[in-house]
Amino acid sequence: MNKKISIFLLCINFCFSQDKSIISNLENLTLNIGEVFNPKSQAINSDGSAIQCVKVIYFNKKGVFSTAKSIIFDREKGTLKANDPGTHEVVAVCIDSNGNRLTKTFNVNVNYPKIKNVKLITDQKSIYVGNYVKLTFEVTDEFDNKRIIDYWNYDKAQRYFANVGVNIISSNDKIRIDSSNNILALEEGNTSIKANFDGVTDKIDIYIQKNPISELNLISDNSNVKTGDVVKFGVIALDKKGNKLNDMPVEYSFTGRSFDKSSLASGLILEDGRFVGDIPGKYVVTARVGNITSSNIINVFPRNVKREVIGIGEGLVNDKHTSDFWVFEGVDGGDYAVTGTWGADGKAYFWDVSNPSDLKKIDSVQVDARTVNDVKVSQDGKICVISREGASNRKNGIILIDVTNPRDAKIISEYTKNLTGGVHNVFIDNNHIYALSNGERYYILNIDNPLQPKEVGMFEVGKEGQAIHDVWIENGIAYSSNWRDGVYLVDVGNGIAGGSPSNPVSFGNYSYDSGAHHATFPYKSKSTGKFYTVLGDEIFPKGVNPNGTNETAGFLHFVDFTDSKNPKEVAKYELPTHGSHNFWIQDDILYVAMYTGGLRIVDLSGDLLGDLYKQGREIGYLLTGNPKGYIPNDTMVWGAQLYKGNVFYSDFNSGLGAAKVLDDKPDNSKTNQYVE
Amino acid sequence: MKFLYLSFSFLTINFLSAQNYYLYVASESDDTVSLLKFDGNSIKEIKRINVGFYPTEVEGPHGITVDPSGDFWYVTLAHGNPFGKLIKYSTKDNTVIGETTLGLFPASMEVSKVTRFIYCVNFNLHGNMKPSSVSVIDAETMTEITKIKTGSMPHGSRISKDGLKQYSVAMMSGELFEIDALSLNVSRILNLEKNSGKNHTKMKMSEKQMNHSVVKPTWVIPHPTKDLAYVAGNGSNEIIEVNLDKWMISKRIKVEKGPYNVEISPNGKYMIATLKGSGETAIWQLEDGLLIKTIKNSTSVPHGVAISNDSRYAFISVEGKGGEPGIVDVIDLKSLKLVDKVEVGKQAGGIAFWKKEI
Repeated sequence: MNKKISIFLLCINFCFSQDKSIISNLENLTLNIGEVFNPKSQAINSDGSAIQCVKVIYFNKKGVFSTAKSIIFDREKGTLKANDPGTHEVVAVCIDSNGNRLTKTFNVNVNYPKIKNVKLITDQKSIYVGNYVKLTFEVTDEFDNKRIIDYWNYDKAQRYFANVGVNIISSNDKIRIDSSNNILALEEGNTSIKANFDGVTDKIDIYIQKNPISELNLISDNSNVKTGDVVKFGVIALDKKGNKLNDMPVEYSFTGRSFDKSSLASGLILEDGRFVGDIPGKYVVTARVGNITSSNIINVFPRNVKREVIGIGEGLVNDKHTSDFWVFEGVDGGDYAVTGTWGADGKAYFWDVSNPSDLKKIDSVQVDARTVNDVKVSQDGKICVISREGASNRKNGIILIDVTNPRDAKIISEYTKNLTGGVHNVFIDNNHIYALSNGERYYILNIDNPLQPKEVGMFEVGKEGQAIHDVWIENGIAYSSNWRDGVYLVDVGNGIAGGSPSNPVSFGNYSYDSGAHHATFPYKSKSTGKFYTVLGDEIFPKGVNPNGTNETAGFLHFVDFTDSKNPKEVAKYELPTHGSHNFWIQDDILYVAMYTGGLRIVDLSGDLLGDLYKQGREIGYLLTGNPKGYIPNDTMVWGAQLYKGNVFYSDFNSGLGAAKVLDDKPDNSKTNQYVE
Repeated sequence: MKFLYLSFSFLTINFLSAQNYYLYVASESDDTVSLLKFDGNSIKEIKRINVGFYPTEVEGPHGITVDPSGDFWYVTLAHGNPFGKLIKYSTKDNTVIGETTLGLFPASMEVSKVTRFIYCVNFNLHGNMKPSSVSVIDAETMTEITKIKTGSMPHGSRISKDGLKQYSVAMMSGELFEIDALSLNVSRILNLEKNSGKNHTKMKMSEKQMNHSVVKPTWVIPHPTKDLAYVAGNGSNEIIEVNLDKWMISKRIKVEKGPYNVEISPNGKYMIATLKGSGETAIWQLEDGLLIKTIKNSTSVPHGVAISNDSRYAFISVEGKGGEPGIVDVIDLKSLKLVDKVEVGKQAGGIAFWKKEI
C-alpha cells in the first residue's frame, strides 16, 4: 500500500492553491441527536474539475477531550455521530497525492431533542398580590433527559430558552408576565399560567390571595454593628385582628449610603434575612410581602481591627527558590523548621527557630530531585517527610528523615512505589503518610516502621481527568483539593463514615465553577461553632515568569460544611490583583500567603458572609520581598503558619521568615501628611 | 594566478566555516527550551524560552520537534491537571502560536510531511500499567483529532520518511506499533520480546496480558531509505533491527547499558544511540553494522539525539542530576569526537534539529 501511494505521489504532481475548494455533504447539514452520518467530500479546482484526495480526514474542531464529544468519529467505518445539540464545527482535510493539504470547516447543526413533556411547578405555599411567582420548569426531552430551570437559575434558563421556542401566557390579567418571563401577581383571584415549549404545553392553576397582612414589622438583633457583622432580620406579620401570621413569603432588600462620601455603600442580604454591610454607612433594610413593606435603619461602623504587623526574623535562602515549610517542636523541646526548595538541587533545610528573630540554618539534606515541593513533620517531632519531583531516574516518591536531632537530620528511607509520577504534596498524621501521586490520587502509607513504609490505602475521585493538588488531615478526616472536582472529605479514621487509613471513605464534596481549587484548611469557628472548609484557588492568569514578578489571581472560598450533606459557599477573601496560595487558621484569625500580595492576616470572628476583604476584616499584612532575595525585592509568599504566637512564612524568593502581629495600631501618621 | 588560487581557497574555507546549525532542546526540570547555535567550532545558547503556565509547578517540557516547514516548533508539557499540553511556537520569534491539551505525560512526537498532523505519544509514565495512546493533532488548528490506543507507556514517536506511517514502542508491554498516518488506525503490532512466538497484529488489545517487558523498548527510528527500523531495548541492552517489509525482527545488536534514544543520520550512514546507563553515546556504521565509536558524555544521563541535516554533527542532550545543568554535547561524525558542549536548563531531554544556515 505504501509503495502504491509513493508511486502515485511521483506520477502526479499538482499543488493546492487558494482557489481550490472542498464540496461536501456536510454543507448545511442538520442531524438529530444520535444520528450517524457518512460524510462525503470532494476537492475541486476553480473550474469545477475534481482533485484526487488520497484521503479526506474529518475531525471535530473542539478536539476529542471529554468536553468535546458533541460530534464523534468512527475512523474504521468513516462515519460521524451527533451527540449534543447545537452548531458544531467539523473540519474536512483533503490530502492530495503530493501531500498538500486543503481544509474546510463546515457548520453541522444538531437539532435540540424534541420536548416530550413540560411540567410547571411552584413551591410557594401562598401567593399574595404584589409577589413574584417563583415558577420552576421541568422539561423532559425525547431521550428522557430532564432539565430543571428554576427561578434563580436565570443564566441556565436563558441559554436554554434561546434554543427553543418558549411562550408563557396567563388566562387573565391577574398576573403580569414581563419579557424575561418573570411573573408578578397583580390581583386577587384564580388564574392559569400556560407554558408552551416548542408545542408541548403544561398549565398550572394558581390562586392569588389578598394580602392578609395589615401590619408588618421588620426586626433584628442589632441596629448598630461593624462592617462584616452579620445581622439576622426577621418579620412579625399581623392581620387586621392583630393575629400573628406565619410563613409569609418575605422578600428582603436594602439601600444605603456610605459615611465617607468618597466611598460607596455595599453589602449583601440573603433570602433568609441575613444582612452584612461591607462599608461603614447607613443602610435601610426593607422587608416586603406583596404590597406591604416595613423598613429598619442600621448603622454600620468601621470594624477597626487593623494592627501593626512586623517582620522579626529572616532565614534567607537566595541561591534558589524556596517552596513549602513546616515549624515543629523537637523532641528536645526546641523549636525547629524545615523548608523545601524548588527547581534546584533537591535540598531541604533545617532551621532552629527557637528565637524567631534569629533564624539559624542548622542542617540540610540533599536528595535526587529538582524540586522538594512539600515538607511535613510528624506530631511527635521525630519523622520528617519530603516530596520529590524531577528525580534523575524519574522514580521520585518520598524521602523519610529522622529529625530526632534536627542538627543532624538523617535520611532513613526512600519510598517510590506508585509515586514515580512525582509527589507534589504530602501530609503526615498518626503514623501514616498521605502522598499525592502524579497529581491524580493519593496513597496512604503506614510508617509504624519508618524504614519500610507500607502502602495501606489509596483514594481517588474516580473520574476521567481526575486531578489533585493537595491533601490535609485533621481529626481523622482527609481534605483533598481536587481542582475542578473541588474538596473531598474522606474519613480516614474519624469514624463519621466508618473509614480508616486502609479503607478511606468519602462522605462530602463541594466544587465550584472556576475549577482552581488548590488547597483546603478545615476550620471550626470559635465564636459561632460553625464548621467551614476554606478552599483556596491558585491561578496565574498570564502564565510563567520565573525570573520576575508574576501576576496571580484567585481567592479563598468559605464553605459552611456544618451540614456535610448540604455545604453552602457563604463568603470569600479576595485581595484585589493578588492571588491566594497556602494558609493557616487559628483562633478565628486567618494567616494567608497571597503570593505577590504578601502575608495577610484576617479577622474571621463572628458569622461569615459575603466579601471579607471589603468588610475591613484585614488585620494587617507584610510584604516579604527582600533586597537580597533570589529575585530581589520580589514578594512571593508561599505559605504561612502560626506557631507559638509568631507567624512563620516561606517566600519563593527569600526563604523562611517570622513575623509578629502587635497590639498596636499601625502608625498612619505619615499618611497624606501634606493634606490638611 | 597563485594569488587568485589562494584567494579562492580562503573564500572557500570561509564559506565552509560560516555554516551555522540551529537546534532546540527542552529542559524538563526547568520548564525552559533553549535555542542553540553551533558554528562548526563552538555551540552557544542564544535564547532560553520559558514554557508552561504555572510558575510554581514543574510542568516538564519533554518532547520537542520542528515542523517540516521550519516555521514552527512544538513542545509537550508532561504535567498538567492532570493532562499535559502541546504548545506550538513560531521559530521566527519563539512566541506561542497555539496549544491543546493531550493525555497523561505527552512525550515524543513528530510531524508527518504528508498530513501535517503531529503524532504524539501519551507516555503515561507514572500511571497504572495499562494501554495508553498516540494523540493525533492537526498542527494548523492545534486540534487533537483522535487518540489511538496503543500499548503501555508508549514512547519514541517517529514518522517514516514518506510521511505515511508512524512508529512508537510501548515500554512496559514490549511492543512496536505502526499507525497508518492517513486512516489513523493501528496497522501492525510487533512483539519485541525474545522467545515470543506471538504476533500481536491480530490480537485485540483486551486479549493481551499486560506483561512487563524485559526489552523495555524506549525508542524507534525508521531508516530513511530502507524498509528497516531500529528499536532501543533499554531493558535488554540491545538495538533491535526490524524488517518492516516482513514485519519481523531481523537482528538484535548487543550494546552497553541502557540504550535510550536512537537516531539515524539523514544519509543513512550512521546510527547513534544514547546509553543512559553508562553515560555514553554510541555510533554505528550502518553499512556493515559496526560499532565505530563510543563517546563518554559530558555529564550523566544522556537522553536525546538530533542530527544535522547534512549528517555531519550529532547533538546529544544530557540530563545531569539534581541541581546540575543539562548539557548538549556536539559530536563530529567525521572525526568521531566530542567537539564542544553547552550548558542549558536542568534535565535536558527532548532535542530537535532546526536548520543549517550558510
